[in-house]
Amino acid sequence: MSGSNIRSLSKFDFLKMIPKRNQIIEAAPAKELPPLQSYKANALAEALHPAVQYLVVSKVIERNADVKTYILAPDTEKGTKTLAYFSAGQYISISLTIGNAKLTRPYSLCSSPKESLSGKYAITVKRVEGGLATHFILDQWQVGTKVVASAPEGVFTYEPLRDAKHIIGLAGGCGITPFLSLAKAIADGDEEASLTLLYGSRTSKDILFKEEFDAIAAACPAFKRIDILSDEDAKGCERGFITAEIIKKYAPQNEDYSVFICGPQAMYDFADKEIAKLGIRRKFIRHEVFGEYRNPEKDKEYPKAKGSVFNLTVLMRGEEKRTACSAHDTLLNTMEHSGIAAPARCRSGICGWCHSRLVSGEVYIPKSVDGRRMADFDYGYVHPCCTFPLSDVTLEIFPEFHG
Amino acid sequence: MDKNYDVIVVGAGNAGLVAAATTAKNGLKTLLLEKHNLPGGSASSFVRGRFEFEPSLHELAGVGTSENPGPVYQIFKELGAEINWQYEFNTFRTVATGPDGYDVKLPAGIDAFCKEMERAVPGCEKQVRALFDLARKVEEAIAYITKMKGKPNPLVMITRHGDFMRVASHSVEQVMDALGLSEKARDILCTYWGYLGVPTDEVNAMHYLAMLNSYVKNGAAMPYKRSHELSMALEKVIRDNGGEVWYNSEVTRFIFGAEGQAIGVEAAGKELFAKEIISNIIPNNVFNRSDPARIPQRDLKLANARRFGISVATVYLGLDCTMEELGIKDYTVFVTSTGNARKQYEQRLSGSMYIVNCLNDVIPDCTPKGTCSMFFTMPLFGSDIPEDLKPEEYKKYKNNLARRYLEAYEKLSGMDIISHIEEISIATPVTFARYLGTPEGTIYGYINAGWDNMLARISSEKDDYTIPNLTFCGGHSARSIGYSSTYTSGKIAGDRVSRKLKGGI
Repeated sequence: MSGSNIRSLSKFDFLKMIPKRNQIIEAAPAKELPPLQSYKANALAEALHPAVQYLVVSKVIERNADVKTYILAPDTEKGTKTLAYFSAGQYISISLTIGNAKLTRPYSLCSSPKESLSGKYAITVKRVEGGLATHFILDQWQVGTKVVASAPEGVFTYEPLRDAKHIIGLAGGCGITPFLSLAKAIADGDEEASLTLLYGSRTSKDILFKEEFDAIAAACPAFKRIDILSDEDAKGCERGFITAEIIKKYAPQNEDYSVFICGPQAMYDFADKEIAKLGIRRKFIRHEVFGEYRNPEKDKEYPKAKGSVFNLTVLMRGEEKRTACSAHDTLLNTMEHSGIAAPARCRSGICGWCHSRLVSGEVYIPKSVDGRRMADFDYGYVHPCCTFPLSDVTLEIFPEFHG
Repeated sequence: MDKNYDVIVVGAGNAGLVAAATTAKNGLKTLLLEKHNLPGGSASSFVRGRFEFEPSLHELAGVGTSENPGPVYQIFKELGAEINWQYEFNTFRTVATGPDGYDVKLPAGIDAFCKEMERAVPGCEKQVRALFDLARKVEEAIAYITKMKGKPNPLVMITRHGDFMRVASHSVEQVMDALGLSEKARDILCTYWGYLGVPTDEVNAMHYLAMLNSYVKNGAAMPYKRSHELSMALEKVIRDNGGEVWYNSEVTRFIFGAEGQAIGVEAAGKELFAKEIISNIIPNNVFNRSDPARIPQRDLKLANARRFGISVATVYLGLDCTMEELGIKDYTVFVTSTGNARKQYEQRLSGSMYIVNCLNDVIPDCTPKGTCSMFFTMPLFGSDIPEDLKPEEYKKYKNNLARRYLEAYEKLSGMDIISHIEEISIATPVTFARYLGTPEGTIYGYINAGWDNMLARISSEKDDYTIPNLTFCGGHSARSIGYSSTYTSGKIAGDRVSRKLKGGI
């Protein structure tokens, strides 16, 4: 260490700084700048998360009177050349215009991630009694129908650093669709995990994708399916519901396993109680989102109603629209049925895509589906997909715009 | 419907939010446009399960307290944005794993810091104090230059601020060398290089010293409810002062008048006009959405001369155990395989430098009872992503990347982390490219190269961007990167435009 000090550096170098900078700038070419897509990171981001995907129905497979699978291909005429790759378990949000209503609906992709590389997505739609969207799709969609969809979304996916190597899948009804994709992804070597699927149906006639699952199981030892029928005794099937005993019977004995659950609300209520008996760590229990919240007035925390029909004022980039809203319906549903294309994806309170500003009014947001950020509470932001009005409400939203 | 504004701010990043809040507060009719559905850019948060993660903020310099307010505290206070600040009074723990490795934890407070440096590297205290003395001289010189409104008397500079001129025109390593600091002391003092994204043999000493001094003098602060709290508080100021904020509203085109002046933008299918445009988005993206004939030659050359700054990969973990159960005792640990900043930078792809954070150390209840969260950050350029990486390989790529760092840290610390992962999310430059839309997913604007250092940028502001009625702010602009710099940059842009439109100074 010499006795050197700062004075060994020339202060006059300071005077050269700007001329040097100007020299370097002057020597640079004045050529046009490369477009964003020419950069690897941006090209990948766009390929994985396009703002919108224009699709076209290329095939319809009738599963039974009330269930159809739609094969979707890129709508090259509208500019979608390839389909975004995804993780098994993800969904796409479909935009629908039905009469005056503008709706979105999330559908799990039941095709394999690999199939998207050859331009194929599949979604399966089951008729919901009293539902507007499912009737419309099942009755109207045919080969050639154009469909507007989001990029793949959702976190109901296998995460190798988090989940156990072995997954016990609990599926009920149409909740089977993400597991078909996961089984295929495992068979393709896309996910390095194994899956034992416990699939609850009423009768053997209600089992969806039987042939597909059988074919995967025959080719891939890492996948196994057990049908559990509530209303029928059938050979090779369990009878009853998906109980703790059934899970224990098919789960690995001396190693950790993850439980993935997807099905109707009643199934979550039942399965959660059964899983609790197994003493599995919370991190190994993964739920798909619950779907739309209904009957808020049945909740213990539901405040006393001050009426059931209110006025909703929606502000959109300086425009204003008024409509009536019901205490029993989410603000999102009300907007959509009034022809307002409000942004939405998961419709379950979680993804935050519908993040909107509550300008005024009182609302009820069920705690169990309140996926907001902490600061949203302080600054009056809500997720309209799980927000119920308790008074007249003014809401500011920002509809998506795709030139 | 009136679509004419006094000011349109493009991009609701830190600088855009402060710029719009400033102009709105000054009574100007302000519209802030943002392509995403949230404010903040990187200053946001995201929820996974029962965890809410901080996406980007490590530690915010320049906050200080109400008794001893720093520039960031002042900006928020003046605007009327209330933040629940949480303080960190250690600077960092730094662990070099190589054969001449070290493990040093340094407190905030210049005196305490210098004493701890002496314990770690006996004999260095005098030189370390000389370094902070230089930092003080830098502050004095900047105060003088500011007082002279950017036009200091050259004679006063040469006679009174010679050391500032030395520091401002040399690299960190040159200055530390001149002070006679040993290699080990230098390495420890250069630990923060990643915060500026340029190794210390290239980054300007004035810039680095100002940053180091700020952290050491006052410690750091974080908002209680992640950066989303900061962005929401600023957003409210804009609205409370009559401004508008539009989300999902990407600007697709800049509109120019007959004299080449910026007069408006197109967003969400609407043409919107304003007397002044402030851009928080990087000049490359502005120029690519403008009539090429309107871009001054110098601006285009400058953009071509620059390289995009570094980005990061970050692994966010929600763990089903407490930090005490894991044995975590620090908020920030820098882990390096070699003390030397240049080597860390060049060997970044072999895991030579990463930062481990546990927010519970500063905000114990930032996660539910019985849990904690960690995040691992490593420097990574967008251009470091393998050229042949296909979209279908991306999930494996990012998981392999995460696994390598987690396993390395488990081995080093003896902690059992992976088995406790309840939630995980992995960001890479692809993630930042997705949400920020910056070229190569840069979070640091343009690289703070020696020739393009902060002071040189500030001194060249009048020459660099000359499109009338268009002002830039943000990490890519003169004040350079980091939360405190971008807030300051937004304040300067907002004030400048306010003065211009309201007359006065």
